[in-house]
Amino acid sequence: MRSLHHRLAALCATLGLALASCGSDPDLVVYCSLDQEFAEPLIREYQERSGLDIRVEYDVEANKNVGLALRVREEVARPRCDVFWSNEFAMVVALAEDGLLEAYESPSAASLPAEMKDPDHRWHGFAARGRVFIVNTNLVDPGQIDSWDDLLDPRHAGKVAMARPLAGTTLTHMAALHEVLPPGEARRFLESVDRLSREGRLNLANGNAHVMRLVSEGQCAFGWTDTDDFHVALEKGAPVQAVYPDQGGIGTMLIPNTICIPAGAPRTEAARRFIDWALSEEVEARLAASRSAQIPVRPSVARPAHVKAPGEFQPMRYDLRTVGLSIRARAAEFQELFLK
Amino acid sequence: MSRGLVAFAALAFAFVALGPIAAMASRVDVADLAALDLARGAGLLWRTAQLGLGAAAIALLVGAPMGWLLARAQLVGAQALRALVLVPLLLPPLVLAMACMGWTSWRGGLATAAIMGVGTYPLVALYVARAAERIDGRRSDAARLAGGLAAMARVEWELVRPVALASAGFAFAFAVNDFAVVDYVSSLGPKYPVYADDIFASWRSGNDTSKAVASAWPLVALTLLVVVPALLVVRRSPLFSYEGDFRPPSRVELGAWRWPLSILAWAVVGATALAPLLRLAFEAGGGARGFEPATLGRSLVAALANGRPNLQASLLHAVGAACLCVPVALVLGHALARSRRWLVFGTALVVLPLCVPPILFGVGNLALWNRPETAALYDSAWMAVLLQAGRYAPLFVLGVAAATAATDQRIEDSARLAGAGPARTLCGIVAPLLASPLAGGAMVVFVFALRELDAAILVPAANGTALFRLYNAVHFGRDEMVAALALWICFFVLLPGAVWSLHSRRNMGALP
Repeated sequence: MRSLHHRLAALCATLGLALASCGSDPDLVVYCSLDQEFAEPLIREYQERSGLDIRVEYDVEANKNVGLALRVREEVARPRCDVFWSNEFAMVVALAEDGLLEAYESPSAASLPAEMKDPDHRWHGFAARGRVFIVNTNLVDPGQIDSWDDLLDPRHAGKVAMARPLAGTTLTHMAALHEVLPPGEARRFLESVDRLSREGRLNLANGNAHVMRLVSEGQCAFGWTDTDDFHVALEKGAPVQAVYPDQGGIGTMLIPNTICIPAGAPRTEAARRFIDWALSEEVEARLAASRSAQIPVRPSVARPAHVKAPGEFQPMRYDLRTVGLSIRARAAEFQELFLK
Repeated sequence: MSRGLVAFAALAFAFVALGPIAAMASRVDVADLAALDLARGAGLLWRTAQLGLGAAAIALLVGAPMGWLLARAQLVGAQALRALVLVPLLLPPLVLAMACMGWTSWRGGLATAAIMGVGTYPLVALYVARAAERIDGRRSDAARLAGGLAAMARVEWELVRPVALASAGFAFAFAVNDFAVVDYVSSLGPKYPVYADDIFASWRSGNDTSKAVASAWPLVALTLLVVVPALLVVRRSPLFSYEGDFRPPSRVELGAWRWPLSILAWAVVGATALAPLLRLAFEAGGGARGFEPATLGRSLVAALANGRPNLQASLLHAVGAACLCVPVALVLGHALARSRRWLVFGTALVVLPLCVPPILFGVGNLALWNRPETAALYDSAWMAVLLQAGRYAPLFVLGVAAATAATDQRIEDSARLAGAGPARTLCGIVAPLLASPLAGGAMVVFVFALRELDAAILVPAANGTALFRLYNAVHFGRDEMVAALALWICFFVLLPGAVWSLHSRRNMGALP
């Protein structure tokens, strides 16, 4: 019995030590909602180059970036994050407006287009994703689809999909439509989406990746998704093609990554060095060449042939800050519409 | 039981399980409570209740007979059935949904209820099996002598019914607090929004904790309304058949029914455990693009190589949570069972962490532990352990309480009269009597901690778990990787039981 007690005590001590040892103090803490698969190798490389011990904490896709933004808010009394690398901009704009970000004018940001930067240097946008239609070429001719309202076309009833606009890039996209379309038009569109989904004529998937899957597998003919999801489908050999909608109209929406330093970050110097590196043309080129095929916002950045430059298609013109500021009100509005 | 010991365990439980809820509740703005859209919420709540009741009914209908058969009858291949029946419980709900959807095009609310029921019926089977083993053999024998197998089944059902209903109550709690499975299953065809969806959307879309917490109370109330009465029924059940000279029930000879019932049990296990596992293996081997055994091998090797640190972290957190729960559950479960004054209030408090939407439980942990005084703890892996222990300790405490209620208090009284102190009585008398429920409870916590994602999503230490990696891989269409990692998770959870089965002649009491 005594021997058993000793063994149990040893087991508990080992477990305790193992658990405690998982929390050593790093040189830099990065909250990163850019997909782990793409960010991990890049950041590991920077870690080796800089010699810094970097702890990266990722978000899960289901959170749509909000988990980390919420943590930045919750940890305001004791900030532990030095750099927040977000895969979109709306939540970062909200953090900036609430005074939760620190200004930093990175030299690497000099070449970024003006619309991709906060005038007060609290955040910078780079490497964007496009909101495109993924089309299954076995089921429909991509030439038939060219605008956002093709989703409502009765010819495609039951065979179209989009993610519910309650979070992520779809929420941001719908919020932007409210800014760029004539008053009331975006609202009417979403009411039609809600009605058609209740009638089973439009499928509301649980995310853009799911839309991609439904279209790739032929369960839907086309749907709205992000360019990174489209490229995953293409890489897997699915019979799909991307349509950049509304060329000649409102244009195709681009949603950039954003990077910022939370107010009170404990390791500011290392954070600034990291941001200089992340905003470099080299990183933007690497993201363009990765599986996610992010679209560089600087024309000078090298990119593979399959990644379009903003000059090769017409991007939607909208103000990141205005859309970011409207996001909470829009989210509440869409929630009332779609969750009842 | 010493008041000091109980106070210490209650304090530990309060800190780990109730503290996050209190921290979360303190964030609510009264204006958000007043602004609740009850008319819109009522529709969602009604749909949610239907889903929960459907899932609970399926879990009960499948789990109760299965648990009884596994505990009391000698089915063909019983040893394998005992291990395999747990598989749906081990799979993360979304992975189970994806595996099931791979076989069928059935969608909508009923399909969701069926998947949630399939995912939770092993819990009912587990508790019913434990209850069936505690029935005094003389009662069964008397019933059988008087009226044959049917009479015995009726008597035993009366005895295990409260436990079956209580565990179906847990199935209800899990079903109504889930939104990912519902959202996934109704991605094609008419949408099926539920109340948990609304809470998550409030939190996710607006970063608004106050609104999310305020909107959660009707769902918490609904869950408590179902779970607490179900648990109280257990306390009043006639299962207190343990006497000082308790005799375990003998195996039931099924006679001509042995083969048909075995085939039925295997069919259920085949559909709910083997089919999802086979689907995962199929996906890991290339799926619809062409299955190849070599691809399956490569996927498994790659998933293990990429996910090794994540699997290690998951196992460490789950083992830590299970170990941490053992002393708390032993003391608190025992005290709850022996108490009369605190029974209703105590049960409601104990079950509360399970009735709170998981994402809000995670937010509560953040609010409670992210302080300068507890910074070291917050940054360490202990944070994930505390969160998992807090969330799933209720299952363990209530299991121990039910088992304690079925033991003879006179044994403890005798020990006390003989001069044994409270700690010695607890360790030397109560703990050995409850060894099997303790092992079973620890296993339940281990399993749930291993597959937990929603509550842990925000905690830094949970960032490196296997579930975290798995869900991110889902997003990238890494079907092989997702399936292979899910298979590894299953393997690691089943491994202890499988080793035990291979090397021991005794049944593992923790299994059904």
